[in-house]
Amino acid sequence: MAQMMARGFREERRALPFLLPTLLIMGAINLYPFINGLLRSLHSYRILSQSYTFTGLSNFRMLLHDELFLKAFANSATWVAASVSCQFVLAGVLALVLNSRELIGRRVFRTLVLIPWATPPVVVALTWRYFLADQGPLNLFLRALGIANPPSWLLDPNVALWSCIMANVWMNIPFMTVMLLAGLQSVERSMYEAAAIDGAGFFQATVRITMPAMKKVILIVITLMSIWTFNMFDIVYVLTRGGPGNASLTLPLFAYQNAFFYYQLGYAAAVGMVIMACLLLLIFFYIRQVLE
Amino acid sequence: MRMSRGRRIALHAVAVVYVLVLTLPLAIVLLNSLRTEGEIIRSPLALPRPATSANFSEIFRDSTFGVNLKNSFIVAGITVCLTIAVTAPAGYAMSRFRFRGKSLFSTWLLATQAFPGIVMVLGLFTIFSTYGLINTRIGLVVMHTSFSLPFSIWLLKGYFDRIPSALEEAAMIDGCNRARALLRVILPLAVPGLLAVGTFSFLLSWNEFFFALIVTRDEMLFTLPVFLSRFLGMGGIVRWGPLSAAALLATLPALILFMIGQRYLVSGLTGGAVK
Repeated sequence: MAQMMARGFREERRALPFLLPTLLIMGAINLYPFINGLLRSLHSYRILSQSYTFTGLSNFRMLLHDELFLKAFANSATWVAASVSCQFVLAGVLALVLNSRELIGRRVFRTLVLIPWATPPVVVALTWRYFLADQGPLNLFLRALGIANPPSWLLDPNVALWSCIMANVWMNIPFMTVMLLAGLQSVERSMYEAAAIDGAGFFQATVRITMPAMKKVILIVITLMSIWTFNMFDIVYVLTRGGPGNASLTLPLFAYQNAFFYYQLGYAAAVGMVIMACLLLLIFFYIRQVLE
Repeated sequence: MRMSRGRRIALHAVAVVYVLVLTLPLAIVLLNSLRTEGEIIRSPLALPRPATSANFSEIFRDSTFGVNLKNSFIVAGITVCLTIAVTAPAGYAMSRFRFRGKSLFSTWLLATQAFPGIVMVLGLFTIFSTYGLINTRIGLVVMHTSFSLPFSIWLLKGYFDRIPSALEEAAMIDGCNRARALLRVILPLAVPGLLAVGTFSFLLSWNEFFFALIVTRDEMLFTLPVFLSRFLGMGGIVRWGPLSAAALLATLPALILFMIGQRYLVSGLTGGAVK
């Protein structure tokens, strides 16, 4: 019996030394803080005594009646849905263009379009803040085109969130394009030739051959992108700080404000739990795709 | 089958428009870094006449930029070394051994991608305060390393999977132990994978903003993203000349490394997802 046990764990004992550094770092810097953070959502933080008291689910009950939270939640939904769908369409078109054999200088184009990916997100946001300023290059250009009253991109409550989305889409197009391009290159060329013989046009070939063949890549990329976009903090923080008047406040910013301006650490953790719940649905989906 | 002439022109036009839109903002940063404040405000789209280096000398002279640049290099450099040292054996174990809890482990690695930043930062803040890691570069390094581990392990596992295990078995028959065989035989063959991991972890650390914003308090310990966001926030009026100079210098190392490493990074990224 003891021998059987020893044999049963032989591989584990050989693998452990290789995995030990990872387990230590991930345990201490990932799993422990994660659980620690999650448990805070059940507590309320008192700044005077700097202590936590257990309050059960009351943070979550408060969230449901917090209008700002509901607004941030709606903003986050818009932010993710609009960002990811725009990225997908724009990156999809770009990937098709870059995949075409008729394109002269494909390598140069493929390298140049990667630039936003290599730019730090804070720099991306700074650049767009300059670009979208009231007297900035974009409005100057629009006025030159004869548009007398171009929108106030960052100061108009109806537009601010969309300006953030625009910058975010710009930044993420390269990653999505690269993934979709790799997917396109894995589709057999003979399939298109066969379709062309049968009289299918470009559009029909895209819908009938490319899309089904790339279903898995598309699902993975969209899931990953949704998760990253949901958690994205830098762009909105630098562009608008959630303003004007909370018009572009998303959930990560709402949680950040509660934790580091109002010292509502437990409340902020509860917001984190809500983000987590939304993402879990996506991860579940993602893991099923990847582990298959 | 060739395209018609009109279609080919349209194809190239679309490609050019994309490249313009995707490169123009950074080109404007470059322009602004070479112009005086007055020029930038008066005519946002004009060329610098003459180009000035005043913005660059100003940020090095009047701000902590130089120190923060050094911090970014130190933190990102050590993060890269640590990530490779930790993930090479882990990726190897994931590729070669079958052990209990393996699928739980890989599920955990994937799930970390979605842990909300706010939850992590609250927990990390407690741990860092307990162990005196708040406001230290080493705190930033371990944090960034922990962020880069999951993807790097996953990527290296993919590379090791493609190297036949007969190679290290031969080395082990010749008297190497497994660790030595990994170091001498397998790692030299996995260099593209290591380059991909190096590029990825450098960019992650170099660009990371949210956690650095919260864990560093002393401006002498800021990394560049935190410096840039503070520079923007200071005073009512944003001074775009010096800010653009700083932003440009913060982008160049990332851009250069990315252009060198992108081939490996892209093949590492897509190798796992497409197959």
